[in-house]
Amino acid sequence: MFWIRVEGERENEEIVMTAVLEVHDLVTKFYTLEGIVHAVNGVSFSVNKGEILAVVGESGSGKSVTMKSLLGLISSPPGKIESGKAIFNGSNELGDLLEYSPQQLRDIRGGDIGYVFQDPGSTLNPIMTVGEQIAETILRHQVVSREEAYKKTLNLLEKVGIADPVTRYKNYPFQFSGGMRQRVMIAIAIACEPQMIIADEPTTALDVTIQAQIIDLFKKFQKELNIAVIWITHDLGVVAGIADRVLVMYGGRIMETAPVNKLYENPTHPYTIGLLGSLPRLNEDGYKRLVGIKGVPLDASKEIKHCPFAARCDYAFERCWNEIPKLAEIDPEHKVSCFYRVEKGGSQYDR
Amino acid sequence: MTDRELFLQVENLKKYYKTSSGILGRKDNVVKAVDGISFKILKGETLGLVGESGCGKSTTGRTILHLQRPTDGKILFDGADITKLSSKALRSLRPQMQMIFQDPFATLNPRHSVGKIIAEPLVINGIYKRGSQILGDRVRTLMEMVGLNPSCANRFPHEFSGGQRQRIGIARALSLNPSFIVCDEPISSLDVSIQAQIVNLLFDLQEKMDLTYLFIAHDLSMVKHISHRIAVMYLGKLMEVTDKNSLFDDPIHPYTQSLCSAVPIPNPKLELARTQIILEGDPPNPSNPPKGCVFHTRCPLVKNICKEDEPALKELSEDHFVACHLAGEAGGSYIF
Repeated sequence: MFWIRVEGERENEEIVMTAVLEVHDLVTKFYTLEGIVHAVNGVSFSVNKGEILAVVGESGSGKSVTMKSLLGLISSPPGKIESGKAIFNGSNELGDLLEYSPQQLRDIRGGDIGYVFQDPGSTLNPIMTVGEQIAETILRHQVVSREEAYKKTLNLLEKVGIADPVTRYKNYPFQFSGGMRQRVMIAIAIACEPQMIIADEPTTALDVTIQAQIIDLFKKFQKELNIAVIWITHDLGVVAGIADRVLVMYGGRIMETAPVNKLYENPTHPYTIGLLGSLPRLNEDGYKRLVGIKGVPLDASKEIKHCPFAARCDYAFERCWNEIPKLAEIDPEHKVSCFYRVEKGGSQYDR
Repeated sequence: MTDRELFLQVENLKKYYKTSSGILGRKDNVVKAVDGISFKILKGETLGLVGESGCGKSTTGRTILHLQRPTDGKILFDGADITKLSSKALRSLRPQMQMIFQDPFATLNPRHSVGKIIAEPLVINGIYKRGSQILGDRVRTLMEMVGLNPSCANRFPHEFSGGQRQRIGIARALSLNPSFIVCDEPISSLDVSIQAQIVNLLFDLQEKMDLTYLFIAHDLSMVKHISHRIAVMYLGKLMEVTDKNSLFDDPIHPYTQSLCSAVPIPNPKLELARTQIILEGDPPNPSNPPKGCVFHTRCPLVKNICKEDEPALKELSEDHFVACHLAGEAGGSYIF
């Protein structure tokens, strides 16, 4: 068991939290016919119990690959986890996920760690009833009879807000709408009372009113079961409403990490500032030009030896082109990997 | 805004699709994708059309351009009724109305170079001859206008990123100097930082060329950003039409209220402080819409009249149209 000291938010007293997952220096590459894709280039982070950690980044930033690497969901070849450690503090043991055998990983997936994918249309089995798919997870991970699994499934369906569970148990995924399917995915993820859920853009494919329903449901379970959630998204609006802490990723690296309030009030990395500037604000009057970020996202097929964001950054100077910045502390909770911020003190970006 | 002249008027537009079901497809079903909507767009303004997937917003855009013939209704384009025009007569009108599509991967011919893609409308409409010097110049000007490097004219679409491809699509739409462009979710497949670039580009082009846009999207905050007025659609019908500030400051229709409250705000303090209206259930199937008000199955304020009679789109205050029985009544249509 290991402990991390975290500043208590409410009364500034020190409280002790256990980390459920600690990832150190994860590197994942894909060896394709066209060359090597440098998807994840040294990512370190931790998730505490009962915390929602949002991982934000644009497509190709390595956020999904990072999480899939942890659970052995990267097909190999072409993918390969080059180095790293992922200490997972599961219900019965402490171990490095990256060292686990396929058998151990199968026990973890759906058991201690639930996974909710972006597209519930393609992740549910189309020729198996929805109920069987939930019951299958329970039977795989718990010592229960079929009868008990059936009862638990009905209970779960009801919990995630699906009316008439007895009939719905026998329905196939195509008879469900997108939002209902995502509810089923959540039921599968929480079926075995996991320590942690990884939610990979769970609301991206949904309409806003349905997105609001799903987020509401997630928050409810997260509180009720006190589980850690890693919420992968590109929507900074969703992050503001759900996250406790945020990781901002770009080019397979972490650019900035901070508690949610600090990140939005005092974004420090030029990339974070650019992302927030790209968003229109509902509460603003009149037309204000979006600031945005110049250029195009990084091409992961080239290995780079400089700051991944340098080509799009307004503040890049010589050092940014010669070295890769490491995450540096601004305060104990707020870290940023930017030479401009650290070296030139750039607390006031002239924007 | 009021001194602008009327540009496009849509009256009671309907587009029905027939689908067959049953044994050997003998049973005919009618999907009422767009069911009697009316609105107007003024010259040089942007009308945002928002709604959830399947509500008929794309069909509306395509029907206005006559990519699909309307089932019923009237479309007045710059004063002229274009509803009943023959295909031939339409062809001479087409250069004035163009479209920017959602998916920049599917709408560019992968075997044509970018230069050819942008030149094609000019050649087809017989404005310039293929291969002529002047055509090349025009293509280069267009590429510069949308922020592409003209030296890339010989490259193929697959060599470009999503945002750049969307720029190619915009250049193609602009090639014929249109006055009206239907933007069908032009930014929803792009990354956030690229979305901002494209929205800025669309806005600059509108200023420069006095373009009129119908901007179709489901991202309410982006729609508010770019539009002058916004129309909210649900299940083939208009729920509320008004200028963007009234829509967000004083949404009258319960659906608009819940839609506005469901949009995530990128500010954690505001997010925590507000009360969200979370609608229950899913939108009904458009092939079998509910009787009365189409929104009554999810409306938290539903009354008996809503289940029986369909509310008409009425003008509550100047330029603020709402289709709700409760709007303006005692008790009102406000959820909070």
